[in-house]
Amino acid sequence: MWRVLSRYPRLLWRLQGVAGQALLAHKARSFFVVAAVAMGIAALTVIVASVDGARRKALEIVDFFGPDAVLVLGGDIENRPVGQRLNTLSWSDARAIARSLPGAYAVLPMRSVRSVTLRYGNKNHEVPTVVGATENYAATWNWPLSEGRDLSADDIAHGAKVALIGDAPAKALFGDASPIGRTVMVKNLPVQIVGRLSYRGFTGGGSDVSVDDRLIMPISTLTQRFNLDRHYFRGLRVRFHDPDLITVHMENLRSLLRHEHKLGPTVPDDFTIMSASEILKFLTAFTGGLVAFLGVTAGVAILVGGFVLANLMFLGVSERRVEIGLRKAVGATSGAILIQFLSEAVYLTLAGAILGVGLGVGLGESLSRLGMLELRLSPKIFVLSLAAALAIALAFGLRPARKAAGLDPIEALRGGE
Amino acid sequence: MTGQASSGESEPLIRLTDVTRSYVMGGVTNTVLAGVTLDVAAGEFAAIMGPSGSGKSTLLHILGLLDRPSSGSYRLRGRETGELSDDALSHLRNQAIGFVFQSFYLIPYATALDNVLLPGLYSDAPRAALVRRAGELLDKVGLTSQARHKPSQLSGGQQQRVALARSLINDPDLILADEPTGQLDSATSREIMELLAAINRDAGKTVIVVTHDPDTAAYARRQILVTDGRVARS
Repeated sequence: MWRVLSRYPRLLWRLQGVAGQALLAHKARSFFVVAAVAMGIAALTVIVASVDGARRKALEIVDFFGPDAVLVLGGDIENRPVGQRLNTLSWSDARAIARSLPGAYAVLPMRSVRSVTLRYGNKNHEVPTVVGATENYAATWNWPLSEGRDLSADDIAHGAKVALIGDAPAKALFGDASPIGRTVMVKNLPVQIVGRLSYRGFTGGGSDVSVDDRLIMPISTLTQRFNLDRHYFRGLRVRFHDPDLITVHMENLRSLLRHEHKLGPTVPDDFTIMSASEILKFLTAFTGGLVAFLGVTAGVAILVGGFVLANLMFLGVSERRVEIGLRKAVGATSGAILIQFLSEAVYLTLAGAILGVGLGVGLGESLSRLGMLELRLSPKIFVLSLAAALAIALAFGLRPARKAAGLDPIEALRGGE
Repeated sequence: MTGQASSGESEPLIRLTDVTRSYVMGGVTNTVLAGVTLDVAAGEFAAIMGPSGSGKSTLLHILGLLDRPSSGSYRLRGRETGELSDDALSHLRNQAIGFVFQSFYLIPYATALDNVLLPGLYSDAPRAALVRRAGELLDKVGLTSQARHKPSQLSGGQQQRVALARSLINDPDLILADEPTGQLDSATSREIMELLAAINRDAGKTVIVVTHDPDTAAYARRQILVTDGRVARS
């Protein structure tokens, strides 16, 4: 008995060689199975990478936004009633919040100008937004500076012609050189760069504009030099002492603003209050559709790969009847035949998995370059793909392998004549 | 083959006792072997002859442990084979029997050397010893320079010689050849039968050839005639 048992490792090893040899002998068929499985695994790779990417992006947004802050925007951006004004937030609102909202400790008004061309030397770069900010912009937005200094209270008070530069325009205008101390033409206004924001690398809530593509100037300078409306703000950022009570704070803020805007009980809000979790919801809804689509695609693709494997294996078993009959005649047990054919299936799907991960990474790279997806590649994807490949091999390869193992050698050999 | 089992001295290599084989097809029982009793001693060279449909192929399948008798007893090396499991039969086929077929049945994508090694794969023998032995066997059948050739690059006679080498790789007691010259011209047939005779004479293997060709059967020292599922003359 021990002799029978002791020959299994050697037999198992030898059968791997047999399987490999058979696969190389049937290159075209092997290639089709590998390609079919690779499609499924590629889809799986993209979906796992995009789910991970969305999760990481969500965490970054919470980090960036701050769990203790809310953003108030003019107008109801969710319902957008016809004819509603967007400019509804005024200095008096800001002062009222700072003065009478319990728990709030910082109110930062925001104004912005869209699509402004920056010029340095002979280089041009159009930033989608120039943000008007108050002092300590980088500190309040948890956005570290990679060099230089933050905006100061003095800059705001005097309407200084200074700016913080985002990573994207800094690269476009200065390349690898330091932008600090340089003077950039913002439209026709010479502005000195005093600080550079570190690279964030994600796009803001649902748009494809990178947060890195921006310039930050004192709100006073922006208002004066670009002739902005002096009474209203695009938005207000309000920070609270206790992040755990943020929902209560938001409700209080809403009542206060409705009171300030003298809105009757039946009139809808003319402003929108967003917290980090709300922005996340928005983002999840956006990426969720794509992820669900990819998930279905991956499932179908993997299933197709499995069926291709099963069908080509059945074809192979009937074409190789003589080989199977011969092997059994010269002493292969049914188990040895089963292992040989299952091993062939496993090698094909593992090759498919490796090719698929490569394809998936390539596909993911181009999708994320197009800004359609945020991807995060991790070793987990590789492990998951190998597991999926193994599952395909066992689930779809078992029946053809059992058919091969169950062939009667006499019948099988007769098939060759 | 002395000292095989306790009964080894008195019992021949093969002992069939009243072996029948019948198939049921669509409710009709078709009897192919109707009670075969036959002894073959170790070292014999026998030819099983008979017209087609006589049951000689079925007899060969039973002797080769590829098929089981419907009733009766088959003792190989003094051991009752009817009690053995399928896996035990596989192991016994691997160790005790070498097969040669009419259509050679070489694996098309494997080299001559790998084809000779095939039964060795399923044995306990270490690979180095198998490869050495396969080389010797290819030398013996005169195909050393064709060891790396695929079957498609070999002539029919060469393919059958590869198959002969393959049947010997695990050093079995018994060689079973099913119409080994059925697809060969007469000159090549003679070469193959000379080789089988040499295997019987020099290596002491028991050789049983199934054939309907009297010229092929003439190489054997004993002719067993099968008609209508019975041994008519042995």
